[in-house]
Amino acid sequence: MIEIQDVVKEYRMGPTTVTALASVSLYIAQGEFVAIVGPSGSGKSTLMNIIGCLDTPDDGSYRLAGEEVAELDASELAEVRNLRIGFVFQVFNLLPRATALENVALPLVYRGVGAGRRQRRAEEMLERVGLADRMDHLPSELSGGQRQRVAIARALIGSPSVILADEPTGALDTTTGREIMELFEELHTEGVTVVLVTHELELAEGTNRTIRLRDGMVQPAAAPPAPQGQNAHQQSAVAPEGQPRPLALGQEGRV
Amino acid sequence: MRLAANLIMLWENIAMSFRSIFSSKGRAFLTALGVMIGVASVITLTGLGQGARAQVEEDLTRLGANLLIVYSGEPTTSTQLVRPRTTRIRPTLTEEDLAAIKALPENQVVLTAAESTLEGQLKFENRNMAATVVGTEPAYPEIRNFQPAYGSFFTASDAEHRRNVVAIGAEVYRTLFPDGRDPIGQSIRINGHAFRVTGVMEEKGSPTQDASVLIPLSTYRRRLSGEDSFAMINVQASSLEVMYELQERIEQELLGLRRLPSMDLANFYVANQMDVIGAATGVADTFTLMLAGIAAISLIVGGIGIMNIMLVSVTERTREIGIRMALGARASHLMTQFLTEAVLLSAGGGLIGIAAGYALSWALQHFAGLASAISPEAVIMAFSFALATGLFFGGYPAYRASRLDPIEALRYE
Ligand SMILES: Nc1ncnc2c1ncn2[C@@H]1O[C@H](COP(=O)(O)OP(=O)(O)OP(=O)(O)O)[C@@H](O)[C@H]1O
Ligand SMILES: [Mg+2]
Repeated sequence: MIEIQDVVKEYRMGPTTVTALASVSLYIAQGEFVAIVGPSGSGKSTLMNIIGCLDTPDDGSYRLAGEEVAELDASELAEVRNLRIGFVFQVFNLLPRATALENVALPLVYRGVGAGRRQRRAEEMLERVGLADRMDHLPSELSGGQRQRVAIARALIGSPSVILADEPTGALDTTTGREIMELFEELHTEGVTVVLVTHELELAEGTNRTIRLRDGMVQPAAAPPAPQGQNAHQQSAVAPEGQPRPLALGQEGRV
Repeated sequence: MRLAANLIMLWENIAMSFRSIFSSKGRAFLTALGVMIGVASVITLTGLGQGARAQVEEDLTRLGANLLIVYSGEPTTSTQLVRPRTTRIRPTLTEEDLAAIKALPENQVVLTAAESTLEGQLKFENRNMAATVVGTEPAYPEIRNFQPAYGSFFTASDAEHRRNVVAIGAEVYRTLFPDGRDPIGQSIRINGHAFRVTGVMEEKGSPTQDASVLIPLSTYRRRLSGEDSFAMINVQASSLEVMYELQERIEQELLGLRRLPSMDLANFYVANQMDVIGAATGVADTFTLMLAGIAAISLIVGGIGIMNIMLVSVTERTREIGIRMALGARASHLMTQFLTEAVLLSAGGGLIGIAAGYALSWALQHFAGLASAISPEAVIMAFSFALATGLFFGGYPAYRASRLDPIEALRYE
């Protein structure tokens, strides 16, 4: 599903160069539930942006569902984001002047889905995350946990192959954070690929697999230090659940 | 499918723009205010310009329709149709000239009236006044659109028998008959000769006409001037279209009679109402164009206002743009979203401006007495220009929005 090979990302700041990703290789199979952890500044968000096609690597290869992303132009990247990716952000990123329902329906606008179908589908999604009674509320009228549910409903509406969540519980208290995690677990059991960035190791333990980043590199996973040269790709090739399950939401609803 | 998706997007853009405009009405109003004022001033000012033109045209046709006047004297380049009194110019037009003009085909010449004038002294009972004495022919009222208001003008039979009859101007009537007596049948003296009053001419508001008396040309020659030639010939052409052709023919005929090769040496010239209308309306048109230009500049300033606020709006909504991009909006989607907003703003400003323009013109007409003629073309032009302004000045902010980097936009505080 997600194949990343020797991906490099650098930021040039005047004379100095900040290496956000030194050389990252990893593989995430369809249907996996993966946590990415690492210290602040280790490149987690940078990696997520690349996986989500918001950014492109400076070097290396990234294949999403077999397609080389580096070869896509800006408008094709937008299309990939629209069709295959669902983003959940730490700060929710809802449109402040749009209702919950309108926020959830937004990705379908860029697919050219008519208003009626958009609304029905958005209602389904909001029911799905337990917000059937908050559809016409503005984000400012919702609690943090509810806002994040709206954001998840929005990420789900396009039936993406991958849900990318960058510290989705970072702005929430522990209880609410746990509820959100349960929602992700539920999605996972339904077959959606979920990639999650988190600081909290406790949350990471709830996933199938944890990828550790440090200084823009993937750290070996096993407790006994892995021999040098063994890279992440080989590690994750032994996918935990074997055959990925077909996506539950993936087929219907695509336009 | 593709078309349907595009239509949905367009509709969605319009709905989004409306929402964004209505969420900050005051600001939207101020943004569109420049365009509003621009459109209103284009409409009002061109309306005034065209109103002035219509006024000039009406004033000129009031002198008589399709009028050519053959004058004695050196040709001038003046654009006036009716000269100040020609009493001091030696009359050079003859019976032969008049006959030649009368002989022109009927589909060109409808009526003619030769005319001579002199300064005379009027006397009735113990009242005296100086007045212009016009000797002319019975067709004169028709050609010059100068009719008797009371009584009648002299007739062909009066002219034939050289009767001493006179139609007097309104001012003359007021001076000689201050008691408001019925003047018809009264005898007044013109340079010592007794004339019977047959009518009072309508008031034209022009002293030369209102303070004049009109008598048959035949009588005028016999009793007053003793000259055979006359000062001018009024000619009514059959239509505006034939006027230049007719002028040319009259000049040729009269040059032929004088055995002259060209108008350079002629002792007569022809004033053409078309020329005068053309010159006057040309001035009015230049005036209109200048006003429209000034108004268009204010419209452009309005467009810059839109650009200004749209740039602010794009900056303010950077995060929104980032979110939309993350959810799959393409550059073209954002471009159209912001363009639609700019165009809607300018269209709204334009519509209000049209209403304001009409209201202002109405007020100027009713309270300031100015002539105003708003043409649909001016309205359509002003509105299209407003739309184009929105499109043009909204283009740069929209381009800026579409070129944002999604990650930086999402990170924007
Ligand atoms: N736009 C940018 N310009 C310059 N440097 C950047 C930019 N984005 C990221 N970096 C740098 O790249 C490195 C990785 O950043 P990134 O945001 O991926 O870290 P992170 O692992 O997500 O950290 P955190 O846990 O604090 O969110 C950091 O050193 C950061 O300073
Ligand atoms: Mg981060």
